[in-house]
Amino acid sequence: MRWRRYWRVLKVFLAATLSAGLEYRLNFVGALLVSLADAAVALLGLALFYSRPEAVSMGGWSYPQALLVVGFFMLTQGFISVVLQPNLNKVAESIRTGTMDFTLLKPIDAQWSVSTRNLNLLRLGDVLVGVVILVYALVRLGGVTAAGLALAALLYVCALITVYSLWFMLTTTAFWFVKTDNVTELFNGVFGAARFPVSSFPAPVRIALTFVLPVAFITTVPAQAITGTLGAGAALLAPIIAALSFAVSRVFWLYALRNYTSASS
Amino acid sequence: MISPPVWNKARVLLANGFSIMTAYRAQIFIWMLSGTLSLVMMLVWIGQAQQAPGGRIGGYSGPDFASYFLSVWLAGQMIVVWVAWELDFEIRQGGLSARLLRPLDPIWLHLAEHFAERLVRIPLMLLMLAAFAWLTHARFSTRALDYLLFTALVLLGFLFRFLWEYCTGLLAFWTDSSTSFSDLNWLLYSALGGLFAPLSFYPQAVQDVARFTPFPYMLGLPAELLSGRSSTGAALWGLLILLAWTVGFGVLRLWMWRVGLRRYGAVGA
Repeated sequence: MRWRRYWRVLKVFLAATLSAGLEYRLNFVGALLVSLADAAVALLGLALFYSRPEAVSMGGWSYPQALLVVGFFMLTQGFISVVLQPNLNKVAESIRTGTMDFTLLKPIDAQWSVSTRNLNLLRLGDVLVGVVILVYALVRLGGVTAAGLALAALLYVCALITVYSLWFMLTTTAFWFVKTDNVTELFNGVFGAARFPVSSFPAPVRIALTFVLPVAFITTVPAQAITGTLGAGAALLAPIIAALSFAVSRVFWLYALRNYTSASS
Repeated sequence: MISPPVWNKARVLLANGFSIMTAYRAQIFIWMLSGTLSLVMMLVWIGQAQQAPGGRIGGYSGPDFASYFLSVWLAGQMIVVWVAWELDFEIRQGGLSARLLRPLDPIWLHLAEHFAERLVRIPLMLLMLAAFAWLTHARFSTRALDYLLFTALVLLGFLFRFLWEYCTGLLAFWTDSSTSFSDLNWLLYSALGGLFAPLSFYPQAVQDVARFTPFPYMLGLPAELLSGRSSTGAALWGLLILLAWTVGFGVLRLWMWRVGLRRYGAVGA
């Protein structure tokens, strides 16, 4: 079976990554400290807004509601640093040095193997911190329905697919520009806005973050599903955006491969 | 013409750094765009001010927030330092060995590269700043002295941050995770520097602690000067504290360099 093989390869990759990661046990402490400090800063930013008596709560979001957004932000940050960064940052390097050829020769889909080969388990702390913030926010919030949670989970999976596809598209540009380790920094620059509910921005920016760059769909929309303030339109749009960006990234990758002529030619 | 050797060295190092950095101009532009947290904070605070009754929060209107955060962005762009990552890489991969063969402390090479990068960065930055200021109706100080003090603070702030990050990078002599410390540095600097809000918005206890750290004088104070909210006295006090920290870390750097080098064995040695 074809899928069985992909699953088996994934397990091998995971085992290799785990044993490589365990060599650096002490670094885990350092990385966890960074995750915690990261969360502290995100919470400080939020607390500063809610400590102003004259500030109307962040575009209509209460403190625990806004915490949900921070939680999803940290979780996504974790997904990026555990899964995306260690894999996709290597793509540019392997195109430049020519090792991409070996990957392409293997009898397995190249996109699959460049996307799953490495995991940076050191940064699992980010994921953990995200989960803790989400759980705390859910407890403070109360009155959360199971249907809301299920919808949020579904929309968040869509968000992760969107994030992956956008990163992957940026990475694929390496076939032409060679040195693109920093292109993904552009993503981080815009993604920083996802710390806050999109309605806390001035109107023109809000529109840009929803329709031009789908930042709103990464953290705000899943949080809205939990608080029950999500419109049907956004709920339907999220999976469409995810599917569309995945399809585009796939087509772009195949197009890049067709034009790829190896490092020295 | 006889040029003094020190001046000659500095000129060569700078010219060398400049030619490296002009090769990376696209990357410098991307790096500039990635340091957007202060701009995100600006937009959120403007959004809050627009929604607040009276259009003001803590005495700041929307354009006031724009002036403050754009100035923070400007100051932050001027004191970008990445030396800790380079040191970490050189020490772990052994690239330091080649640099040690030169009859010059490697710190000068790094310093020259940072300065040269600024020369490439500043024109791009001023263009972007003008566009942002026009979009957000930000207003800047009209006192010439404010700009002079701003420059002095930013220059000293850069030197302090450079030495601080250099010490962090030298930790690679002892540990594999010196770059985690560099991440922590950034968080400390941005939180206490006033990247998230003007320092007067912070709880009193935090303000009292922050006053004795160098951070508010690297970001918040220069930004307040540019937006016309600070005084000459406050700026001079800030310069004094920054100077003390800079000298302190200069000494620490020298000591760490001497002790660390004794521990250093290149890969394969």
